[in-house]
Amino acid sequence: MAALLLMPARTWWVLLAAALPAHLLAELQSGVPLAMVLGWYVSNCSEALIGAALMRAFVPGPLRLDSFHSAGVFLLCGALAAPLASSFLDAALVKLIGWGQGDYLELVRMRFFANVLAELTIVPLIVSWVALGWRAWRSQPLVRHAEAVVVLLGVLGASLVAFDVPLFDANMAPALFYAPLPFLLWAAVRLGTAGTTTALAIMVVVTIWGAVHGLGPFSGGTPQDTAREMQLFLIVVSIPLLLLAVVLDERARTEREAHDQRLQLTHLSRVAMLGEMSGGLAHELNQPLTAILSNAQAAQTFIANKAIDDAELLEILRDIVGAEQRAAEVISRLRALFKSGETHMQRLDANELIREVMTLAHGDLVTRGIQAELRLAPILPPVKGDRIQLEQVMLNLIMNAAEAMTGPASSERMLTVSSIAVDGRAYLSFADRGPGFLPEMHEKLFEPYYTTKAQGLGLGLSISRSIILAHGGRMWGVSSPGRGATFHIALPTI
Amino acid sequence: MPFIAVVDDEEPIRKALKRLLRAAGLDAEGYASGQAFLEGAAMRRPDCVLLDLHMPSMSGQQLLAQIRKMAGRPPVVVITAHDTPETREQCLAAGAAAYLRKPLDDRMLLNAISAALSKSAVPGRR
Repeated sequence: MAALLLMPARTWWVLLAAALPAHLLAELQSGVPLAMVLGWYVSNCSEALIGAALMRAFVPGPLRLDSFHSAGVFLLCGALAAPLASSFLDAALVKLIGWGQGDYLELVRMRFFANVLAELTIVPLIVSWVALGWRAWRSQPLVRHAEAVVVLLGVLGASLVAFDVPLFDANMAPALFYAPLPFLLWAAVRLGTAGTTTALAIMVVVTIWGAVHGLGPFSGGTPQDTAREMQLFLIVVSIPLLLLAVVLDERARTEREAHDQRLQLTHLSRVAMLGEMSGGLAHELNQPLTAILSNAQAAQTFIANKAIDDAELLEILRDIVGAEQRAAEVISRLRALFKSGETHMQRLDANELIREVMTLAHGDLVTRGIQAELRLAPILPPVKGDRIQLEQVMLNLIMNAAEAMTGPASSERMLTVSSIAVDGRAYLSFADRGPGFLPEMHEKLFEPYYTTKAQGLGLGLSISRSIILAHGGRMWGVSSPGRGATFHIALPTI
Repeated sequence: MPFIAVVDDEEPIRKALKRLLRAAGLDAEGYASGQAFLEGAAMRRPDCVLLDLHMPSMSGQQLLAQIRKMAGRPPVVVITAHDTPETREQCLAAGAAAYLRKPLDDRMLLNAISAALSKSAVPGRR
């Protein structure tokens, strides 16, 4: 059934045909008559086909057991409906061929529980490992592999103790059933669906082995009773654990997707902001390019006229190198900001970040006729954060401040950026002399899609605040209408 | 030797432009702000002003308006690293002799300066 679930329906007949030789080889060795062997082949194939066809109807494409829906469909169709339907056929064939004993319904019941357990143990094991993939498994960190080994050894050990030692005291049996449970829960919570199905398979194999050899809590009764009790126990344990693992996997995946989307949105908003800054950035690059070109052309003329000594030439070259380095620095900062990537938390000097973003914003401020004043704390303890994201927040506040000051006369256009450390927090503030905002707007400004700009998306402040919150900090704005606005960031220092 | 005033808030630019002008046989002096230029021009009147548009406190356009009111009205060649059609129009309307975008090609700059100098030398233009 697992093979059918993983392959397109048009290839199913090939898989079923390929199973025949293996089935014959395995069953004929045990002395079962050929008619019965073929009968079981038919009933097994019908079980696989019924299960796979039903599941394909509800979950198109290969089954991945990656959602509560797909796990539910598997349990109802693959682990319940298919074994139920095929058990009637199986028992009928057994009675027809005359190989089994007992009445028809008893045979149906025996086959049903055995088949349910087989489907519950083997199909999720294969499907979940195929879905996980070799590469994803290999790429897990070593500590994760070590944890998996510990958990699986724990399941093995606890199962051996619970189900494979002679039962001295029948009163102990209920307690023993629970011995593997902590490890199974651990597997469900930490190892995902593949880890949980592996752990369950280990417990099932160990339990069956114990029961077959007359060991553990299931021994002592008739073979039919032993099989029924053991199968029921394993089925009852497997279903909730399988569902738990799938649901936890699904939740982790949803959270991962939301996280990726947040990162993507943060990046897009950063790129959009850099786009808005393009005029200022062009200014910032054109300045050193002007110095380079004019110096080089001056040197060319001096040399052509033989009117320069080595000392002056050296000074010109030094100035060219200096200007080139300035342009290179702007480009390298831009490249870093344009990149998208995972959050990389590191020890950072907030003052240094402010100076860096002021370099990038310099062109924009100059072209808008805005003067900038830095009032930075001489000693500021480091903060822990993602350099690019924090620079994005600062640039966003600087650009907002710059845009707020298009109204006032140019002599009034002043941006003041300050930093101070108080009680284990670094406070950074960005004050403009724009029109400010009304007190009731304090929170609205941070709402997504709220904007006062003609071209803005209204995401800048909302994303900035979420970045600061993710850094364990706070962000807020204060203003008195007509007297400018100040935005504050508080970040924990380390 | 014509005397050219270079008004730009960035020291590396002033230095480079002064060199370029000196190499072309012109006398040049740099001023870091509009205020510094006005003080300097009171002592030595330039024959032409190379004026950066984007400077803190007094912008290039404000200074351009003041220069146009100065005695002798030296011609002004505007240079900018942030070029927009509006500023170009505004500067030329305000009396700039030329409007050039940084980075500046030496021939284009020197042609603009010499055209500005020759225009300002025509009697009756001032």
